[in-house]
Amino acid sequence: MHRNSPQIHHPVPQRPVQVPVMQSPPPPSHSSDPYDNPYGAPSYANMGGHQQQHHPQPGQNAGGGYPQQFTTFGQGANFFSDPMAAQMGFNVARAAMSGGTDFAEKNMNRYLSSLKPFFAVTNTYVLRKLSILLNPWRHAPWSRQSTSRSSSSRPGESETIYLPPREDLNAPDMYIPLMSFVTYILLSSLLYGLSGTFHPELLGYTASSAMGSVVFELVVLKLGCYLLSIGNSQLLDCMAYSGYKFVGVIVTILAKACLGAGWLSRGIFVYAYAANAFFLLRSLKYVLLPEENDAGYAGQRQMRKRRTWFLFGYAYVVQLVFMVTLTSGVGKKA
Amino acid sequence: MLFGLMPLIKMIILIVNAIAILSEDRFLARIGWAAQPEPSFGGQDVSIKGKIVNLISATRLLTRIPLIGINSIIIIYELLLG
Repeated sequence: MHRNSPQIHHPVPQRPVQVPVMQSPPPPSHSSDPYDNPYGAPSYANMGGHQQQHHPQPGQNAGGGYPQQFTTFGQGANFFSDPMAAQMGFNVARAAMSGGTDFAEKNMNRYLSSLKPFFAVTNTYVLRKLSILLNPWRHAPWSRQSTSRSSSSRPGESETIYLPPREDLNAPDMYIPLMSFVTYILLSSLLYGLSGTFHPELLGYTASSAMGSVVFELVVLKLGCYLLSIGNSQLLDCMAYSGYKFVGVIVTILAKACLGAGWLSRGIFVYAYAANAFFLLRSLKYVLLPEENDAGYAGQRQMRKRRTWFLFGYAYVVQLVFMVTLTSGVGKKA
Repeated sequence: MLFGLMPLIKMIILIVNAIAILSEDRFLARIGWAAQPEPSFGGQDVSIKGKIVNLISATRLLTRIPLIGINSIIIIYELLLG
């Protein structure tokens, strides 16, 4: 009979074989992965297929990754029950971590997208805004412009949103406060260094002190808004407005460094403080005070008076406290 | 350092602690700052005093249990780091 000798079909196991085969000495493991098992090589391929019924998504990555690693010391491989538990634990941890990072990414995207309009600035906007900050008495219209766009949350309607700083000079931005905050830290460290009393913790010290004052001011403002039932103050807007005072603080520190501690630098401090207070009064008027319509309601008039007092108190007293705190003791300890 | 970040957090926790341990019936009712029930919708009912009273009672209600944990953490932190 001329036939080729029939192919010998070895019995292919229908189920994964779970027979541990010992080798002495054990083959050295090439990877330093703590979950590696030097005995575990091609059983991982079976284990990958076996586990795909249990963990559909995460198992495929691990099951697909490991067989390439372990085919080097493959034949006659061993199998214990430990690698299975270890791999399952690893898969669970990987699923949990990916779920956690997805959640964090979603929230982070939401925060970042709400921060984006604050950083849409141009050069001319920055220059004009700085000139307004240092000389606010010449600026005429202070109201923010708004436009109506089609709303994304309620389709079919149009909601009015404020224009970003690129198109509206009166819109608050976060670029100037952030940059002036960093400049304040660096400048105060420079002045400390010039007077010989610099040590590297001073940078973090100044940063946390300035940030603490901003946080405290925001807490005071939010508390006042809640007590006076002022509804429409956004946290990021208030953060931007409270960061604008760093510009005046920088000017004062520079003047104090160049001109000494005489009456001229004090005059410059008073001027910067007054400019900042006026700027805040005019800008926050539209946020804190209600509309100008006279409803003739006694309670509303009293509410309006209270709010006006709060605005005055915030713009003058609170800012005075903070500016004195920020400008005192910079580069003075010689 | 008048407004450092860590002293600020400690100050806020101290103030919240002080608000949380105010007793409702022994102290607040005596001075008339007891938490009112849901006010009937009568227009300008939300005065400043009403808002402060609501804020105090809400703070007491919500922060009693997390404050236990936060205080323990701060106590351990202070004991370990001096």
